[in-house]
Amino acid sequence: MMKIVEEKPDALLKRAAKGDEQAFLLLYQRHQAPLYRYALRMTGSPWAAEEVVQEVFLLLIREPQKYQAERGELGAFLFGVARNRVLKHLERTPREASLDVLSAYGSPWREPEDPLTPMMIAEKRERIEQVREAVLALPAEFREAVVLCELEEMSYEEAAQACGCPLGTIRSRLHRGRALLLAKLELLRDVPRRASAGAK
Amino acid sequence: MMNCEEFELRGLDLDRPDANPEAAAEAANHVHVCGRCSALLELWREVKGELRLLRDATQMNSAPMRVEMRLKQELRTRREERVPRGSVAIAVWALAAAAVLAISFGWVRTRENANKASNAAPAGTPTVASVPNVLGATDSGMLLAADYDTGEFTELPGSMPSQSNDRTVLQVRMQRGALARFGLPVEQERAAEWVSVDFLVGEDGQPQGVRLHRDSPMTPVTQ
Repeated sequence: MMKIVEEKPDALLKRAAKGDEQAFLLLYQRHQAPLYRYALRMTGSPWAAEEVVQEVFLLLIREPQKYQAERGELGAFLFGVARNRVLKHLERTPREASLDVLSAYGSPWREPEDPLTPMMIAEKRERIEQVREAVLALPAEFREAVVLCELEEMSYEEAAQACGCPLGTIRSRLHRGRALLLAKLELLRDVPRRASAGAK
Repeated sequence: MMNCEEFELRGLDLDRPDANPEAAAEAANHVHVCGRCSALLELWREVKGELRLLRDATQMNSAPMRVEMRLKQELRTRREERVPRGSVAIAVWALAAAAVLAISFGWVRTRENANKASNAAPAGTPTVASVPNVLGATDSGMLLAADYDTGEFTELPGSMPSQSNDRTVLQVRMQRGALARFGLPVEQERAAEWVSVDFLVGEDGQPQGVRLHRDSPMTPVTQ
């Protein structure tokens, strides 16, 4: 078992292409969660995220030759496929506003460890929901920059690599995304917090 | 010294681990002197904290088990498909090989027949049908059935087949009983019967084959 775990992704992929279920499951378990989270944060829909993950790994089963080890790591390849699928999904449903609450993300609400009153818990939950809505309301390119750099906590370089664009593009997208996010939150909360927000 | 416009562009990176230290220091200095940018940074930190909460709330998310099950099923289906596909390929190759063998065999046979035909005597030369074991024939009544339609001669017992084409046909009328001299069995009851017979005579003057002439009754010469 240990031997299989240490095996390189392309070797695992070769075995999986021959129908080795264990090798395929190892690859799946290594990569599915980050892909699912990315798709979920980008689409806001657990169903869409599920479909994206499924399509990514179906491609790996049906056309494993599409991954070429010399062109990069398997994780990056899978992320690229997932990203294309997510963008296609967003094109099909450009402004699909999810009406689900946070539980729609697929996991139950986890109570914070610090002692809070029910009022504080409710308020916190509402604020997170507003942030989620504001992120989902961003145009796809700015949303992607915010998701990768703020939620996934990637460095600018990693995000640029993942999106296949220059570093400067990611910086400017993130800057624009942040500005839109702040504006959206101010609008949602109906409380202009910046002293100069109204003046500008 | 960083101004407000520059702060909006780069100042919010102040807390990022990959922020440029010099730019971060300039941004920190600017915040001390600018209330607007200070409020902006404060707001961003608050939002950043909420983003972190959102991230934490979804950090453990992963694709549901049913996705894994569907993928496993797909993998199994493809594996099962691959085996029959292999068998079909083998069967197709086997059929193709059998067809090639059959065609080759047929071609060889055709060539052999063509060679036999080309080695036969030229047109117009009488041919001799070989009747082996004439004298040893049984009572089945099959001997010397000379065929008028094809003009073939029945080979006489003991005659040597000639390679030469220089042969002649001699037409004679004789009693059926005389055929016994050529080693042919004759029915005693019909021995006195007169028949017209063609003899095929080789260049050595020896008869090689015999056939009943067309005028003769259509009964076999003997028996």
